[in-house]
Amino acid sequence: MKHMAKAILVLLALLVSWCGSATRTFAAPIDYERDIKPLLKQRCASCHGALKQEADLRLDAGALVPPEIRSEILKRVASNDESERMPPEGPRLTAEQIAALREWIAADAPFPENEIVPTKPAEHWSFQPVKRPLLPTSKHEHPIDAFLFGQRDAPPRVTAEALLRRVHLDLIGLPPTIAEQDAFATEGKLLESIIDGLLARPEYGERWARHWLDVARYADSNGYERDAEKPFVWRYRDYVIEALNNDKPFDRFIVEQIAGDELPDASLETNIAAGFLRLGAWDDQPGDPATDRYDQLDDVVSTTSQAFLGLTIGCARCHDHKLEPLSTRDYYSLVAVFNPLQRPHSGITDLAVKVGETDVYAWRETSANAPATHILIRGSATRPGERVEPAVPAILVQQQPAFAPNGEKSTGRRLALAKWIADENNPLTARVIVNRVWQQHFGEGIVSTASDFGLMGARPTHPELLDWLAHWFMHDAQWSLKRLHRLMLTSRAWQAPKNAESVVRYRRLEVEAIRDSMLAVSGRLNPKRFGPSFRPAIPLAAIEANSDKEKIWTPSEEPEASRRSIYVFIKRGLIVPMFETLDIADANSSCQQRQVTTVAPQALTLFNGEFTQQQSRTLAERLRREAGDDVDRQISLAWRLALCREPSEVERTKLREFIERESLEACCRVVLNLNEFVYPE
Amino acid sequence: MHPTRRAMLQSIGGGFGTVVLAGLLEHAGLLNTAAAADARAGGNSLKPRQGHFPGKAKAVIQLCQNGGPSQMDLFDNKPELSKRSGQPHPEEVEVFQLGNKNVLMGTPFQFAKHGQCGMELSELIPHLAGVSDDLCLVRSMFTENNNHPFALNMLQTGKTFNGRPAMGSWIGYALGTENQDLPCYIVLRDPAGYNTSGKMVWSSGWLPAVYQGTEFSSSGTPVLHLNPARPVTPESQTRSRRFLQELNSIHLEQHSGESELEARIQNFELAARMQLTATQVLDLKSETESTRKLYGLNSPATAGYGTRCLMARRLVESGVRFVQVFPPLDPSFQPWDNHSNLKNDLRKICGYVDQPSAALITDLKQRGLLDDVIVMWTGEFGRLPITEGTDGRDHNRHAFSTLMAGGGFKAGHIHGATDEFGYKSVENRVSVPDLHATILHQLGIDHTKLTFTHSGRPERLTDPDVTGARVVEKLLA
Repeated sequence: MKHMAKAILVLLALLVSWCGSATRTFAAPIDYERDIKPLLKQRCASCHGALKQEADLRLDAGALVPPEIRSEILKRVASNDESERMPPEGPRLTAEQIAALREWIAADAPFPENEIVPTKPAEHWSFQPVKRPLLPTSKHEHPIDAFLFGQRDAPPRVTAEALLRRVHLDLIGLPPTIAEQDAFATEGKLLESIIDGLLARPEYGERWARHWLDVARYADSNGYERDAEKPFVWRYRDYVIEALNNDKPFDRFIVEQIAGDELPDASLETNIAAGFLRLGAWDDQPGDPATDRYDQLDDVVSTTSQAFLGLTIGCARCHDHKLEPLSTRDYYSLVAVFNPLQRPHSGITDLAVKVGETDVYAWRETSANAPATHILIRGSATRPGERVEPAVPAILVQQQPAFAPNGEKSTGRRLALAKWIADENNPLTARVIVNRVWQQHFGEGIVSTASDFGLMGARPTHPELLDWLAHWFMHDAQWSLKRLHRLMLTSRAWQAPKNAESVVRYRRLEVEAIRDSMLAVSGRLNPKRFGPSFRPAIPLAAIEANSDKEKIWTPSEEPEASRRSIYVFIKRGLIVPMFETLDIADANSSCQQRQVTTVAPQALTLFNGEFTQQQSRTLAERLRREAGDDVDRQISLAWRLALCREPSEVERTKLREFIERESLEACCRVVLNLNEFVYPE
Repeated sequence: MHPTRRAMLQSIGGGFGTVVLAGLLEHAGLLNTAAAADARAGGNSLKPRQGHFPGKAKAVIQLCQNGGPSQMDLFDNKPELSKRSGQPHPEEVEVFQLGNKNVLMGTPFQFAKHGQCGMELSELIPHLAGVSDDLCLVRSMFTENNNHPFALNMLQTGKTFNGRPAMGSWIGYALGTENQDLPCYIVLRDPAGYNTSGKMVWSSGWLPAVYQGTEFSSSGTPVLHLNPARPVTPESQTRSRRFLQELNSIHLEQHSGESELEARIQNFELAARMQLTATQVLDLKSETESTRKLYGLNSPATAGYGTRCLMARRLVESGVRFVQVFPPLDPSFQPWDNHSNLKNDLRKICGYVDQPSAALITDLKQRGLLDDVIVMWTGEFGRLPITEGTDGRDHNRHAFSTLMAGGGFKAGHIHGATDEFGYKSVENRVSVPDLHATILHQLGIDHTKLTFTHSGRPERLTDPDVTGARVVEKLLA
C-alpha cells in the first residue's frame, strides 16, 4: 500500500514536471537571468563560487561553466546515486530545474555578454603583493602628480595665504599665527620648509594622534551601566602623540601596540602601547560572563584586523563571512592569538598593572601556556566546536607564521601576529595606512572605505598610485609617516583649490580642530601637554534628566579647561554635547572616517553655546589689546587670525558698520561662526 | 521685472544660498516678490511645495523596528508550522548563521482574532491588536539582503549598499516641510546610543545636505542652546545672524554648488526659528495625564519609547514632514534580533514597544490626524520558521510583515500571504521599493518622476527601471 502510494506520487510528480517544462518550453524559452542564474547561485555557488571552489570549479555564473563539463553537470544533477548526485546537500533539484538546465545547455548555454562575474577572492586586488608600478610618462616630476595628471597640466595652486592656512590646519590642527603669516609673506619661505617646521612641532602629534585614536576606538571610560574611568588610559593617548612626534616607524608602532609587552626589548613605553588592545568598552557586571569574555576578545580581534589590515573579520564570529573569504575558523584562530590575555580587575573595579613604578592600562599575560580556543557554534559561548590553534586568515598566506612560546611569561602569539602584520610582505598593512593618511589630507581615501579593503570594500580610484605609495612608504621612507606627509603635501594635487573637479575635497574641520582653532584665535589656548584628561563644562540642560549624579562630573577650571581637544575626557555614556553634535567618532568600535552631518543643532551650539561666546569675548579683548582702538586694525587682525587673510573692501566696509552699530564682541562671535572658518580653503 | 538682480541671483549658483540671499535682499527691499518666489523654487529649499498631484497624506512617522521582528510570532500565524513543529523543513532554507537546524519551530505564543476585521495577531502585542481596525497589515513583504546593515540600507534608501539618500530625505526634497521652524526630517533614538549603522541610517546621501535627518534628544532638553548662553537682546541676536549670513553669502559666491555650505547657511536661519517654537512643540508637560498614560510614560518599561512616540505626534502635528523613531537598545542595539532566547527577548521588546506604538495610532486618530499621517511600523527583514540553536530564529529576507496605518492606507486590512510556514512571501508580494512607491504616492509624489541627477544619472528612490517598483493600489483605501 505504502509502495503503491509512493509510485503514484512519483508518477504524479513526473507528470507535473513534464507538463511544467513542456508548457514553459512552448510558451517561453529559457531565460538565463530568470531560470538559470538564480539556480546556479542558490544551489551551486556555495561550493563552486567566488568564495569556495570545490574541485577547482566555479559555477556561479554562466561565463564560468566550462563547456567540457556541461554533460557531466546534467548527469550529476539527475543521478540517482547519492554519492555522485549534485548538489550533495539539500533536496534534489526538481525535475523542472533539471529540464531548464538541459534546455539551456542544449541552446549552447548562453549568458549575457556583460554579465558581472565576482572575482575569486585569492585574486582580489588588495590580497596581491605590493609591487612598485613604473611611474607613468608625465610632465610632472612629483610621483603623485605623475599618476594623477600624466601629461595634463596640474590644476592651479590656491593662494599662498590659503595654502598656509591649509597646511597648518592639516598638520597641526591650528591656524597660523600672525608672526607665522608675516614670516611667510616677508621671508618668502618655501612650502617645503613650512611643512618640515610643522612636522617638527609637538602640536603635530596632538593633531594626528586624534586620527589614530578614532581608529583605535579610544575613550577614557568603560561604557555600560557604571561607565567607570579606565585608570591611567591617558598614558596610551600620550604614547600615540609621542610616537608620532618621534616619527616612530609605523611597522614598529604596530608591533608595540599589539605586543609591546612581549618584545625582547620591552620597555615601559611599549607596555603602555599595548594598551591599544584594552581600549574597548567593558561591562563590569556582565549578565553572562562567558559570553562577555568573548565580547571582549571580539573587540580586540575586530579592532586589530580593521585598524591594521582593513578587514571586517568580526562578522565571522557567528558565521562564515557571507561576503569575504573569511571563515569562522579564521576568526577563532585570531581569537586564539589573544585568548591568553587576562583583564586585571577586582570585582567591578577595573585595575591598571604596575610596570616598574608606573601604572599602565593594559591586559596581562602571565604564562607560556595558552588556554584552548574552540570555534563557537554561531558565536555561542556555551557551544564550543572544534579546537583551533592561532593562525592568520588563510586567504592571505601560503604559509602560516610560527606561533612559538616566548619565554615563560607569555605565549608569544601576539608578537608573531604583530610581526606578520608589520612585515613588508603583508599585502594589506602599508596600503591601509597610506590610504588613511591620504584620506585625512585629501578628504577622501583612494579607497573610500578606509577600514574595509575586502571584497565588499570600495575599489581604489587610483590603484597604481596606491601601490606606488605603499611600496615607497615601506622601502624608501622606511615606514616614516612624516616622510609620507611631506610627499603628499608637496604634490600639486594637494595644493589645488577644492572644487568638484579636484582630488582634494572640501570638508568641514573636525570638532577638535574647530574648538582648538577658536582657542588659538582668541589667544586662550593652554598648550599644556600630556597627563590626565580634563572635563569640559556640560550645559545643565543636557544632564537635567540624568538621575545618576555620579555620572555628572565637576568641570575643570581655567586654564585646564582651555587645553587642546585631544585632552578632553571621553566618557562613553556621556559625550560632551558640542562634540557629539559636531560628529565626534563613536568610540564603540573602530571608526574609519568621521561622518560630516550638517544640522541645525550645530548652528545653535556654535552660535549660542557658552564656549563660543566665551571665546568671542576673549578675542575681542585680544583685538583691543593688540590692535588698539582703531577699528580698521581690529578688523584686519581678526580676519588674519581667523582666516589668514585681509578682508576684501566689501567685507571691511560691512564689518566696520556692524562693529559701530553692535559691538566688537558681537563681531567676533560672527567671525568664529563663518563658513570659511570651519571649511578651510 | 528686475533682470539684473535675477541674473545676479542665478549667477551665484541657484542653490539655497540664493534663497537665503533672496530673503536678505527681500528683507532689505531690494528684490520684488516675484523674483524672490522664482529663486525659492530652487531644489534645496525647506519651503512647502506641491507634489505631482494632491496627496492624501502630509507626513510620515517611521517606527523603525531594527533587528528583524519575527513575523510568525507576531503578525503571521502559521498553524501548519505549529502542527509540524519539530519536523524538518521540506526544502533547503537560506540561513545566515551557523547553528540552524532545518527543523520547523512553531510559535510559542498564542494568536487570536481582533477587531471587526478579525485580524489575527499574537498575544505579545495586545495594544496593537486593540487598534487592528486601523491597521493595514502587509504579510507579504520581502527584501534583498539577509544582513542587518544592508537590509537597513534597503529599507531606508531602496538599495542595499551605502551612500544613498534615506526615504525621509527624498520626501523632504520633494515636498519641503510645513513648519519652517523645525527641520523637515527629525530622528528620535534611545539616548543610550545608536542603533545599527548609527547616523548613516538618516543620511541624505548625495541629496542636498539640508534634507538629512536631525537628531533631537528624547531625554532632558530636546535641543540645546536654543537661547544664547549669555544675554543678548533679540534684536542684536537677529542683526548678528543676518550679518553672519551676509558674509557667508559672499563666501558662497565663490563656492557655488557646495551643498554643505548652503545647508550650513540655512541651518543658522532654521536654528533661529527653532528658538521660537521648539521648546513649545516639545514640551510634553502640556500633555494631559491620560495622554501620558496612554503612551505609557508612567511605566519604566514604556516611558523611553513612549516619550519618543509622543514627541513624534507633537512634531507631525506641528507640521514636520518626516519623523523616525527608534526602539530601545535592549536586549541589544538590534532589539528584534532573536537568534536565541526568542521567547523571553521577544516578549521583552514587545513590552517596550507595543503600547506606545498603538498609543500613537489611537492618539493621532482621536485628534483627527490619522488621515494626514502615514505611520509605518517595520523592521528590515523577517525571521525563519526553523530553529536556530534551541530557541531562536535566524534572519529571513524572503518574508516579513509590515504595519501601515493612516494616510489613506486601508484600515483593518490584510494584504498578501506567506507560504504555509511563513518562510517566503508568495501571494501579492510587496517589495521594499513597492512600499516606497506607495508611500510617495500617498504624499502626492509620482515615484517615477521624483528624480535627482547624480553623476549624470537621474536617480530615483525606487529606481523603477531596475526594481520594477509600482504603487500597490490594493493597500490603499
